[in-house]
Amino acid sequence: MSRLAAAEDLEGLRASLAAERERVGTTIVVCGGPGCQAAGCRAVIEALEEELDKEGLAESVAVRVTGCHGFCEQGPVMVIEPGNVFYCRVKPEDVGEIISSTIRDGEVIERLLYTDPASGERVRTESEIPFYRLQERTLLALNRQIDSSSMTDYIAVGGYSALAKVLRDCDPEAVIREITASGLRGRGGGGFPTGRKWASCRAAPGDERYVICNADEGDPGAYMDRSILEGNPHLVLEGMLIGAWAIGAAQGYIYVRNEYPLAVEHARRAVEQAREVGLLGDNVLGSGLCFDVEVARGGGAFVCGESTALMASLEGKVGEPRPKDVHTVEEGLWNKPTALNNVETWANVPLIMQNGAAWFAGKGTKGSKGTKIFALTGRVKNTGLVEVAMGTSLREIVFDIGGGGSDGAAIKAVQTGGPSGGCLPVEKFDLPVDFDTLSEAGSMVGSGGMVVMDERTCMVDVARYFLAFLQDESCGKCVPCRVGIDRMLEIVTDITEGRGRVEQLDLLEELGETVRETSLCALGKTAPNPVLSTLRYFREEYMAHIVEGRCPAGVCKALVEYVIDEERCTGCGACLRACPREAIRGESKQPHTIDAERCVRCGICLSECKYEAIVVK
Amino acid sequence: MSDQSMAAILEGRTSQPQQLIEALHDVQQLSGYIPQEAMTTLSQELGVPLIEVYRVASFYKAFSLTPRGRHVMTVCMGTACHVRGAARVAEQASAQLGVEPGGTTSDGQFTLECVNCLGACALGPVVVLDGVYHDQVTPRKLGRMIESVRRAESEDRLHV
Amino acid sequence: MEQYVTLTMDGARARVPRGTSVLDAAMEYGICIPHLCHIPYLSDMGACRLCIVEHIENGRAKVTTSCTLRVQEGMVIRTNTEKIRKLRRNIAELLVAEAPNSRAVQDIAVRCGVKEVRYPFRNNDCVLCGRCVRVCTEMWGARAIGFVGRGKERHVDFPFGVRPDFCKQCSSCVDLCPMTITPCDGPMKPGEERLCGKCESQLQVTEQIPDTCVWCDLGMGFNCARQA
Repeated sequence: MSRLAAAEDLEGLRASLAAERERVGTTIVVCGGPGCQAAGCRAVIEALEEELDKEGLAESVAVRVTGCHGFCEQGPVMVIEPGNVFYCRVKPEDVGEIISSTIRDGEVIERLLYTDPASGERVRTESEIPFYRLQERTLLALNRQIDSSSMTDYIAVGGYSALAKVLRDCDPEAVIREITASGLRGRGGGGFPTGRKWASCRAAPGDERYVICNADEGDPGAYMDRSILEGNPHLVLEGMLIGAWAIGAAQGYIYVRNEYPLAVEHARRAVEQAREVGLLGDNVLGSGLCFDVEVARGGGAFVCGESTALMASLEGKVGEPRPKDVHTVEEGLWNKPTALNNVETWANVPLIMQNGAAWFAGKGTKGSKGTKIFALTGRVKNTGLVEVAMGTSLREIVFDIGGGGSDGAAIKAVQTGGPSGGCLPVEKFDLPVDFDTLSEAGSMVGSGGMVVMDERTCMVDVARYFLAFLQDESCGKCVPCRVGIDRMLEIVTDITEGRGRVEQLDLLEELGETVRETSLCALGKTAPNPVLSTLRYFREEYMAHIVEGRCPAGVCKALVEYVIDEERCTGCGACLRACPREAIRGESKQPHTIDAERCVRCGICLSECKYEAIVVK
Repeated sequence: MSDQSMAAILEGRTSQPQQLIEALHDVQQLSGYIPQEAMTTLSQELGVPLIEVYRVASFYKAFSLTPRGRHVMTVCMGTACHVRGAARVAEQASAQLGVEPGGTTSDGQFTLECVNCLGACALGPVVVLDGVYHDQVTPRKLGRMIESVRRAESEDRLHV
Repeated sequence: MEQYVTLTMDGARARVPRGTSVLDAAMEYGICIPHLCHIPYLSDMGACRLCIVEHIENGRAKVTTSCTLRVQEGMVIRTNTEKIRKLRRNIAELLVAEAPNSRAVQDIAVRCGVKEVRYPFRNNDCVLCGRCVRVCTEMWGARAIGFVGRGKERHVDFPFGVRPDFCKQCSSCVDLCPMTITPCDGPMKPGEERLCGKCESQLQVTEQIPDTCVWCDLGMGFNCARQA
């Protein structure tokens, strides 16, 4: 492809690409996102390509492998254009029929359609599915339109036009004014106003500046950044280019989590492609902007999501945070002014510049504008990525979009904001989800993880889980974080194992306060949130563990016992054969029993029993 | 690890301390772990004090200082997987393989790792065996996965 | 540029050279702030968090370590509020529970008002203050030791755990280690660790006038910056 020397070249290219897209009649869009990958979309894609080849349709029918569509629960998902017929849970065996019926004869295969659980009816297209219909998908909708490995697809649907517009019409100050006016706040957790960050970075003394894209998405239960960077890497690059223009940076970095090899690959490929046509490099589109991007792999450390630790890691050092008495917009990477934003923040930038600040500020609440992507996971029916306007209530997200609890169990809480966030009980579900409201309620928006918990989830165990996570991920530099979290874990473990004392709850709160106030970086400062929020809303569960020696959810092993309900047990022997510890005995066709001494409460029998005869007490 | 492959890793990186992590990634990918000699070479060639190389290699989870097994089993311990029973899956893996998370079986067949989120949260619990994602894993399903690898290896041995 | 800046510490105005840390400025003016990882001639890492103060900015009090905070013109600092004393006490309690066999840590705990230790004692000994690592790195440029591992596994070690040739056994690291001075009664037996509290009698003065340095004998073998 030839170099794009000016904005007109880009427009010319776009026109020819769009025409080409028109010409292709049928396109089979297959989601290649992380959820669908785990559900086996690779095999489906291979089967598709093979079958099309065999049928001689390889020329007339295009296969587009895209980034995440969001509805991971139903993966692998497939959309057939034109017509937008939506198939879910597609298996390689289905491919033959899809080609012969849907592609050749235009017939819809009923059994592959999605069934609306409310009405029990099968629906044909995405737009009829409540999961999609109730969302406001500005970022995620783009994923479906483009092959994640193709820059031309991105350009064909309007990519880089925001950049061209900015370079033609706006001076850097105007860009910053526009971003400030849009009310965009950082999507990585802190919620800092992006415009203000850019303005301070631009104003900071120094002749070299950097922009960084934080793609070290470490919050367990969050994968929206992964989905954007994998599915639409050029959108992020375009955002960074606009940011570089506004701030006056010549070099950018994308710091990608090493656990996301596909994101690394796609980001690298996107950078190569952009360099090749001159969208990165010297004199971008003839504007005089010189900017290049390097992709760096993270080392597998949650703490590197913290900006100073991330910058240390980019410098090739250990990812230990430093005190932030001097901000990174003044002294960041190599002590130069640096603007760091996360993937979703950068991805919003081109859309704001294209559609205007008013368009963006028109969505959301007073203090939180625009849309936000949430990863809805855990014990909820429709797991996946959900993009809604800020201010949407938790209830709408969990019940209307998420479809409520999985297999009918009552939802108890939702955990937002990952290890830095907290657990909100179902009574708080009418709260609008925005930065300030969730903080006031003791949680946070964070990067957007939403893990739904039901009556089978033990909140003390959840607190223990997060403490164990943070103890493992703390860099160990400062005392409150290293020792304080360890001591909190020690106390909570005591409680889950039946050694808890009531007065330890006060100590837990006092210690949590100390860790929050005195830790060096945000990891430690937010670490007590899961404990403090569960103590605030679910204190009775702690008390049940301590006073009654009982785990109400039946999770904490030391406090539960597995028994077999004699009435229900048919003596089929499935549990007996599956038990790894030979703790189950019984004659064939006779009720079995569990030897409590031998039982390690692994739960295998529970999942094997078809008659619900295994009871956790 | 041969001198040649080390030279390839070092190409264009000499005297650039900021390339340390990227270089370690390449060593890890090539050898499956970070040998001491590699750290010594990197220290000299990149101009990073040896203690700093050792420190970085021991700090980041992506790097292993001991050789890993022929098969790597990674159990996701992310929140979404946790509330769907990942702890039981991990315990089953530990019990069946006879190693703690992070350990390698004495015959060098398996390395068991527990990671804090693989970003495939919608379909938890997730287990990755040799790069292949498995969704909604139960202790039983995991047991079968381990069995099938063992069976395949012992059949291979018979044929050799 | 002005060579001196004026700041307010605990209500008193102080004039100190630009670039000074708030901790050094306070010590210079006789305001004693407990600290462990700070050594006047080495860089500060803010690891022990004992020297926390409240930095009043835009009407909001931010808790931060004074060793890493540089003085600024017009800065307002509070070193000894109720809140700070409580937080310090809690940190000192964590420290002494980790390393009861260090007299320096015991003394600091008493100095910070720890009356009881609510956690089981551990004899981890090293509290990772990093004094040894910094003196080896910054003073001698030897880099024979460093922090290795992360989080709970973090410890001070030689490269690959073996003493390298370039370690000249100068013993600077040992001299600065807070673990090398055992409590007056000698090392405590395993399982019998306790808060020593012997020096408590000397604390009468500090409790009455909390924010002035009393030239205490606490930490005898482990001098605070005033005496160093």
